[in-house]
Amino acid sequence: MDFYHYAPLWGEALLTALALLILLLGALKKNGGKIPGYLSLVGLVAAQGLVSSNLMMARPAALFFFDTISVDALSQFFKAVFLVVSLLVVISSLSRYTGKGADEYYALLLLATVGMMVVSSSIDLVTLFIGFELASLATYAMAAFDKTKKNLEAAMKYFIYGSVSSAFMLFGFSLLYGMTGSTKLADVAAASVESFGAATLVALLFVVAGFAFKMALVPFHMWAPDTYEGAPSLVSALLAAGSKKMGFAAAFRVLMIALVAMRLEWYLAFAILAAVTMTLGNLAACWQNNVRRILAYSSIAQAGYIAMGFAVVGKAWGDAPVDVLNLGVQQMALLGIAGALLLVLAHALMKTGAFIATAQVAPISPKESESDPDDISNYAGLISRAPITAICMMVLMFALAGIPPTAGFVGKLVLFASVYYSGLVWLVVLAILNSALSLVYYLRIISYMILKEPEGPKISEAKGYVAGIVLATLAVVYIGVFPDQFINWALQAATVLLPQ
Amino acid sequence: MISNALSLMILIPLLGAAVSFFVGTRAKFVALIASLAPLLLSLQMYMEFDKSSTMMQFVESYDWVPSIGVKYTLGVDGIGFPLVLLSTIVSVLVIIYSWGETKKPNQYFALLLLNEVGVLGVFTALDFFLFYIFWEIVLIPMFFLIGSWGGPRKDYAAIKFFIYTHVASLVMLLAIFALYFTYQLPDGSRTFDMLTLLKATQNPEIFPPALLNIIFAGLLLGFLVKMPAFPFHTWLPDAHVEAPTAGSVVLAALLLKMGGYGLFRIIVPMLDYVDKAFITIIAVIAVLSIVYGAFLALAQKDIKKLVAYSSVSHMGFVTLGAVALVPLSIQGAMFQQFSHGIITCVLFMSAGTIQHVVGTRIIADLGGLADRMPKFAVIMMAGFMASLGLPGMSGFVAEFMTLTGAYATLPTYVMIVVFLSIVITAAYHLWAMQKAMFGPILRKYMDVHDPHAYELFSMSVIILLTLLFGLQPHLMTDIMGTAANQLLQPVATLSEMGVI
Repeated sequence: MDFYHYAPLWGEALLTALALLILLLGALKKNGGKIPGYLSLVGLVAAQGLVSSNLMMARPAALFFFDTISVDALSQFFKAVFLVVSLLVVISSLSRYTGKGADEYYALLLLATVGMMVVSSSIDLVTLFIGFELASLATYAMAAFDKTKKNLEAAMKYFIYGSVSSAFMLFGFSLLYGMTGSTKLADVAAASVESFGAATLVALLFVVAGFAFKMALVPFHMWAPDTYEGAPSLVSALLAAGSKKMGFAAAFRVLMIALVAMRLEWYLAFAILAAVTMTLGNLAACWQNNVRRILAYSSIAQAGYIAMGFAVVGKAWGDAPVDVLNLGVQQMALLGIAGALLLVLAHALMKTGAFIATAQVAPISPKESESDPDDISNYAGLISRAPITAICMMVLMFALAGIPPTAGFVGKLVLFASVYYSGLVWLVVLAILNSALSLVYYLRIISYMILKEPEGPKISEAKGYVAGIVLATLAVVYIGVFPDQFINWALQAATVLLPQ
Repeated sequence: MISNALSLMILIPLLGAAVSFFVGTRAKFVALIASLAPLLLSLQMYMEFDKSSTMMQFVESYDWVPSIGVKYTLGVDGIGFPLVLLSTIVSVLVIIYSWGETKKPNQYFALLLLNEVGVLGVFTALDFFLFYIFWEIVLIPMFFLIGSWGGPRKDYAAIKFFIYTHVASLVMLLAIFALYFTYQLPDGSRTFDMLTLLKATQNPEIFPPALLNIIFAGLLLGFLVKMPAFPFHTWLPDAHVEAPTAGSVVLAALLLKMGGYGLFRIIVPMLDYVDKAFITIIAVIAVLSIVYGAFLALAQKDIKKLVAYSSVSHMGFVTLGAVALVPLSIQGAMFQQFSHGIITCVLFMSAGTIQHVVGTRIIADLGGLADRMPKFAVIMMAGFMASLGLPGMSGFVAEFMTLTGAYATLPTYVMIVVFLSIVITAAYHLWAMQKAMFGPILRKYMDVHDPHAYELFSMSVIILLTLLFGLQPHLMTDIMGTAANQLLQPVATLSEMGVI
């Protein structure tokens, strides 16, 4: 066996080995202190380095394991996103999960990361499903990790919804396999184009429903606010920023078949799905008082923006390329995917940071048993109680609202431009209105943090949390100020999806 | 000449803001130094400024985001430079005036400096993208100044201010994007360069009148709300009444000027190429602002609200002068911007001083304060005289030039209305002054006394400036005259000027 042949997959291998090693250590030594955390940290940094070493690989993609795993610019894009999210979560967790039991937490986290990475590389239905399940099972356990009543409720909900969505997905996959006789995406696509029937439609509907659960698109979004609110904050960060993006990674691979190969007039369905998702998400967020629920609904709204990318591909596929930004003449479909990817990246960073901030604020709330520790009133006067957290949170809120110069703006700019030029003017108008609407609840959080008189004690900001949230904020601003390389990177990743 | 003077001028307060945030009560010294440096730089630039040149001066241009055509371009000409000078002067004086601030002084001075960063950026940015970013940056410190240091209804006022002006900015942003996406450079690329795009709007082949009208309306709305002009002025009284004194000063002296600056820089060059109805509409808005603002001021019980409405009235002259489209009126309107900028500082500082010395700002409750506060009374009197347009002070010159110029183009009956409103203006100033400061002193005010020396110092510097520019207006109007003549010529881009 040629060891070097598998070099592009060393990242995954490393993390898997590390997860097992951490479990082993945990079995040998009951209280490992901070060792599992630091081990994961080092492992994730190393994996990020390995992934980065072939970041721009476009064509030909490197294929492995009987052409079921593809390492290409798209997979590397998502892997980098997942690894950054996990890294930030691990850095913050160093201030939270140490000592007894911590080994399980870090092992689960690493396994979840591996699962997501596998999904982003999968070009085969079976590997895709396995990756999905690996990530899901690990995060089900993590969602209940603090074993409070709320945790258990959240995890239960997440588990039941997750299982149902897996079942949907698997059923769709099995139908596709039955009709086409292959599990490879490329074969499925080719066969479906030849004989497209009602059964194919049903199969795809099931698959879409399965993914939509993970992406938290309306009407499959109900689990998200409850789970993000109830799970440990840092796990919520992983769920909202990482595991949700896994849904997009899978959807990009699989749905492109439906959208591109079959050339269906499906774009309208996706446009409506996106429109409804962002509008409902934003509206619901305005009425919440729990910051994590606000973030959950905002992340549903962001999923709606990202889903516009699918609509663009469906609408603009085959249209003549247009020169929109200074990126040369580009197909709108390509630009749409690139915009969606940029927003995926931006949203992952923004949400990780924001959820880490909630983790910082929540545990010190005065009476944990009586009042809701994530209630917005606990954020009153945060600027005096926890200045670094408050400032970073403010920047992140502005970024989520899409105010320049932040990553949130860059993603929206590219995506909205592509939506506009693909001809879906109504959708872009709605999206812009939604961005304005979203400011209402982001401003509410900001005004609580900064304008209200401080209530409650001063928070001693834990080092790990501060490091995590500051890094996330800096990354968000850096991408906003120097977006060039990121735009090019996203475009490169997007080319993987489109047949030449 | 110092190279990159404009960048330095923006960077120093930005660093100052960051430093003052972390130095606690010593923030005021940091703030003073960080605001004196830009003042010295701008005075140096005034010495070097070529008053007869229509070219952009002190230009800096670097690529920032090539992939979407954003450049970091700064430069000033006769339109922007007087406002740069105004901003640096007012920022220093406001910081001196606030020397005694004890509530969270570190944040307070940091926000004042951040505000200076924003306005200086707006007045110097020659790239629409950069312009918009600075335009939005200004909102943030003002939002917090009102929201944290404001009066009883501060939350309402802060949110209203933010939402109102932010929505207007979004409309402006859409118009900017419409410009950006419509115009392509000869080589097919796109640019946010302000002068290039403005030049393109003067070519009906690129921007057909129908499209240009919509874009124009969007931009106009953004600027009129900021000015604020009737009927978009309703956010102003709330913001002013609730804002702390320094906030009001900065708001009236600098933030309103951003709207006027936009009018000159962007609206006037487009006026000849849009529907002629716009000129009528803007003129009507201007006249209504002048007259209605004056009447509203006459009806106020609160001296600060009176000053706020007087701003609406005075800014109406700016709009009127700009839309009259003759060199003299434009020159006068530009001078009015500068003149109102300094005079309004005295007025708001007076209102603030009365508030904290006496404890109320309700005119009816005041009386005979001159008896106990002789120095203050002299300065306040001088300020009010300047504001009502006493010959020999800068306000008179500005309004005289504006009206003389406008007389040539506007119908006579309009001018009669405007002239009559000047009587009203005199009436409310004199009435307020007489009632609050003169007459027999009320028994309860027997033990009030002159305010702190630093407050008197700031105000007297401004009175001296008002006299200086009233008696020697050419110091400023020479620069503006060149700019006014140039505004009526077709726009020249930076490369045509040969400055980059």
